[in-house]
Amino acid sequence: MLVDAPYIPASALEIEAQKAVEPGRPGPAFGRRLATLALRGGALAVFVGVLVVFSVTAPFFLTIGNIGNVLGQSAIAGVLAIGLTIVIIAGGSNVVTGGIDLSLAANMGLSAAVYASLAQAGHGDGVAIAGALGTGLAIGAVNAAAVTLAGIVPLLATLAVMNVVAGLELVLTQNTVVPASSEFLSALSAGGPFGIPVLAYVLLGFTLVVAAIVQYTPLGLRLYAVGAFPDAARAAGLPVKSFVAGSFLTSGLCGGLAGILSVSYLSGSTTGAGDMLLPVVVTALLGTVFSRRLVPTVTGTLLSALFVGFLINGFQLLNISSTLVSGVQGLLILLVVSATTLLGRKENA
Amino acid sequence: MATTALSSFTRGVARYALVAALAAVFALFAALAPGFLSGANLLSVLVNNFALLAIVAIAMTFAVSAGGIDLSVGTAVDFASFAFVSLVLAGQPIALAALGGLAGGALVGVFNAVLIAGIGISPFLATLGTLFVGRSAQQLLTNGGNPVYLPPAGVPEAFRFLGHGTVAGIPVPLLVTALVVAGAWLVLSHTRFGRVTLAAGIQASVVRYSGLRLSRITALTYVLVSTIAAVVGLILTSTVTVYIPSSGNAFLLNAIGATFIGTTFDPHGRPNVPGTVLGVLLLGVVANGLLLSGLNFYWQQVGTGLLIFSVLAIGFANRKAAARA
Amino acid sequence: MADTAGRGAAIVRLENIVKRFGGAEALSGASLTVERGSVHGLVGQNGAGKSTLIKLIAGLHRADEGTVEIDGKVYDRLTPHLAEELGIHFIHQDRLLVPTFTVGEALFLGRELRFPGTPFLDRAAMRRRSAEILERYFGLALPHSALIADLSAAEKQIVQITRALIASPKVLVFDEPTAALVRREADLLFQLIRRLSAEGVTILYISHYLGEIVDLCDTVTVLRNGRDVATLPVAGTSAAEIGALMVNRDIGELYPKPDVAPGEVVLEVENLALAGRFDAVSFTLRRGEVLGLTGLVGSGAKEVVRTLFGLDRPTGGTVSVKGEAVFSADPAAATDRRLALVPEDRRRDGVALDLSVTENTTLASLGRFSRGLIDRGAERRQTEDLVKRLQIKTDGVDALVKTLSGGNQQKVAIAKWLSRQSEIYLLDEPTVGVDIAAKVEIYRLIGELAERGAAVLVLSSDIEELLGVTDRLLVFFRGRVTRQFISSETSPDQVLADVTGAYETLRHAG
Repeated sequence: MLVDAPYIPASALEIEAQKAVEPGRPGPAFGRRLATLALRGGALAVFVGVLVVFSVTAPFFLTIGNIGNVLGQSAIAGVLAIGLTIVIIAGGSNVVTGGIDLSLAANMGLSAAVYASLAQAGHGDGVAIAGALGTGLAIGAVNAAAVTLAGIVPLLATLAVMNVVAGLELVLTQNTVVPASSEFLSALSAGGPFGIPVLAYVLLGFTLVVAAIVQYTPLGLRLYAVGAFPDAARAAGLPVKSFVAGSFLTSGLCGGLAGILSVSYLSGSTTGAGDMLLPVVVTALLGTVFSRRLVPTVTGTLLSALFVGFLINGFQLLNISSTLVSGVQGLLILLVVSATTLLGRKENA
Repeated sequence: MATTALSSFTRGVARYALVAALAAVFALFAALAPGFLSGANLLSVLVNNFALLAIVAIAMTFAVSAGGIDLSVGTAVDFASFAFVSLVLAGQPIALAALGGLAGGALVGVFNAVLIAGIGISPFLATLGTLFVGRSAQQLLTNGGNPVYLPPAGVPEAFRFLGHGTVAGIPVPLLVTALVVAGAWLVLSHTRFGRVTLAAGIQASVVRYSGLRLSRITALTYVLVSTIAAVVGLILTSTVTVYIPSSGNAFLLNAIGATFIGTTFDPHGRPNVPGTVLGVLLLGVVANGLLLSGLNFYWQQVGTGLLIFSVLAIGFANRKAAARA
Repeated sequence: MADTAGRGAAIVRLENIVKRFGGAEALSGASLTVERGSVHGLVGQNGAGKSTLIKLIAGLHRADEGTVEIDGKVYDRLTPHLAEELGIHFIHQDRLLVPTFTVGEALFLGRELRFPGTPFLDRAAMRRRSAEILERYFGLALPHSALIADLSAAEKQIVQITRALIASPKVLVFDEPTAALVRREADLLFQLIRRLSAEGVTILYISHYLGEIVDLCDTVTVLRNGRDVATLPVAGTSAAEIGALMVNRDIGELYPKPDVAPGEVVLEVENLALAGRFDAVSFTLRRGEVLGLTGLVGSGAKEVVRTLFGLDRPTGGTVSVKGEAVFSADPAAATDRRLALVPEDRRRDGVALDLSVTENTTLASLGRFSRGLIDRGAERRQTEDLVKRLQIKTDGVDALVKTLSGGNQQKVAIAKWLSRQSEIYLLDEPTVGVDIAAKVEIYRLIGELAERGAAVLVLSSDIEELLGVTDRLLVFFRGRVTRQFISSETSPDQVLADVTGAYETLRHAG
């Protein structure tokens, strides 16, 4: 064994032996693809089904005006969920040790408060915008440092940052609504071409830009590699930590942007931004079922956000308590992960 | 050899950062905040800022020990509260109602156990789903989220005992907390179940390959988590004599924070009951002290957050250094 | 020192490298000089420091002492990125490819192709280029939509090699490249390496298989205990000579096998079957007996062991332990019947790395130490006894198992079952990744178990080892036991012929 093992590597023949026992290697691959297809198709079918049910039961549902409204109302959550999606892509799908940013909703609250306070103090829109985006970016930078330099797992790092940020928002606003109005804000919250709110265009434009970068450039491809298999990314010479740090900076910036949108939508800063956290997390996680390979994608997250938006809207039109939406989301996420887990298990067995 | 001495030194620092932070915060407020050191205030810290969160955090400690997390601890609190209030309103004896309340909370754990141990969903996603479903379920049960009040006149004295009573001068909530803490400590570090739970959290497949029934242990853990959290539902309801839907979630983030702060207290960074208790105490003292210092009320949260952040940063930076050494 | 001309010929030169991990020295003054254009072999046992050395060249580790010189320039802070820029590329043992990527994406990660003048990926171009290269070097066409996760081990290996080729490397480092390849694919790889070498690429080739080294390399460096013990021209050196340099121990002492008279039958397997894995497997195992199982991966031997321990549910046949039929597929029930499994993937299934020696040792037998609460004193005493008896080298019973060497970790995995008072031991590749000294101790331990009346079943792909430690040997091929040997009456070559199916083939042909 030690001296000149006869040249037949033990595992060298493993593949032929496996082939002997189990002919037709495409089996598992085919199974997985089929399962993926079923899941994705199922998700889309549910989406379309919900739309159809609503449009039949609530005639107003399928008007351009209403769809535009839903898009506009989904803008804030959509921007946040897309920010979170980027963190999840770069951090991997293990929610505890992988990518997650719990400070996003609080970030939005503080950024909005900063914007409103600056505006109230008589500063122009330029300063206020810079203030809000700067706030978001700074929060992202703290997260990035905590995760990549101090080595705190993202779940905890962003949890602690969330607490600090939510506190700072309270300090700044004394837990009151800080009203803000300006031409820029009115323009953002106004209706745009075809009777569709400007916020809807902002959401679509934002998604388009981010999706273009994440799904169609080398940068995006590398982001996926870093999250899915850091060792492979490292072996390919990619600076893994910089990517992770960058993902937190980006999500911080998304928080800032969402803050600006929310100031315009609500004509000021409001309290209780933190309530958006878990819905945004669920939206981002659900987005994976709208992707071809069952991975987080920007467009998938958009669809997921719109799905939630349509549910809320449809329930409202039908006079059903919109609080049930959270139940539907919860059940959906359980169904989706159960299905993926069970399918995965069957395939391994 | 120098490196060994150094690393054991830094490990010591990591371990006692938590105790040191607690001592420092305590000393600081003793000096700055008038009345902080008074017996009445310290008791109020324990009752108002410590007891309930400690129980929820202990529950969380079991979930984290098993290598998971439970985002639905608040849901268990709510379900217990709802069941308790409903049974009392239905005229059931308090003891039975309390048992019903515990069962209501445990139900949430059973649901989680099926998802996690039965189907194999990751605990984060499973309990996130439970949290959302639980929220809607409560809305449905309460006509869209209306609080359920107990008429002040019709509440039996026994009902108020859990929240307001004292035994030998010690408030009952504190007593219950002490019992839960002691029991949890015994179970987690001195019983077979606790040891296997810990092992499952550290390396699940070894547990399976050791001939231990992993899924049974996992299932039991999540039921236990919810049952412990349910105790808080009972105390809370007894204190305020009202059930407010989805109010239990207020504990969630601090419970997670305290549990992970507590891990810095263990030489190997494992979740542990004493550490969790220290973590909760730290959060409680800071909240109370900041309040007494006359600082703006809203700075409390900032201070708490910064504190959690620094303890975690020290703990993790040290673990990283130890891993590199 | 002053001979700069000689140095010019060296493309990679490591000098007196010392690398420590915690307290342990992985490399203690190792040197390696690879000359431009050569095919340089690097051999050594597990733990000799091969992979650490490679990771230094890859920029994944940094040396504590010594210098790393590439192309005549000393680099103190080599990074993976810099190494690639210098033209050094690696075919890693663990295939570092993102499973959710397509072949094209995986091949071009880090040097993606774009539409000219835009920042956007040109996936079609990447697909075309990768198809071209795969076709040219391997004559292989992979479906372009296939994900890495869908590829076979060999195909992944090919993708990995292709990745390196795209970058037009100056130096290619192969780390155990044939481990996942079948013979035909390995031959193809050797042809490729010769061709690359002829094109002027320098090759550094790490392998366990000395035969490959002799066939392929010009020069070979032997590592032992973190040092280079020799660098020789391959011409005029035999594989046996190289092998002798790798060990400093007479092989004869390896197998201290005691003579034990077998006792009663404790395990009886009859016509055991698991659909698609194995069929009609029958054997008995007595107290004091050591039975070997061997076969290729997929031959069914491993699956039989898993089934015996209750990890898989058989589709036919019976298993009786001490005369009592077993019906449940449940490891808990198996351990109750005094069965023990020491699994192959020690670091995943055998020991919990972040638990202490004590916690690992008593994990399967906590019932013995607890009456409500765990009696920590008793637990500790039991562990200390076992640590002494098995000569486990540790800083104490409270040390975490991850601080132990591979061999000592394996002893802890065995101690767990001794503490459980198991009687039937199923050992799955018990000496994989264990250094030679610990191997001998594990062999001695196997003998001792038999002497004390335990029944031992050893599954191993190392045939010499099996013949050394077992009484009888069953060979599995394509899901069946194809041959039985008395270990003392056969030779490795004979067994090997059956393992690889030559016997079967002959019989069918004849």
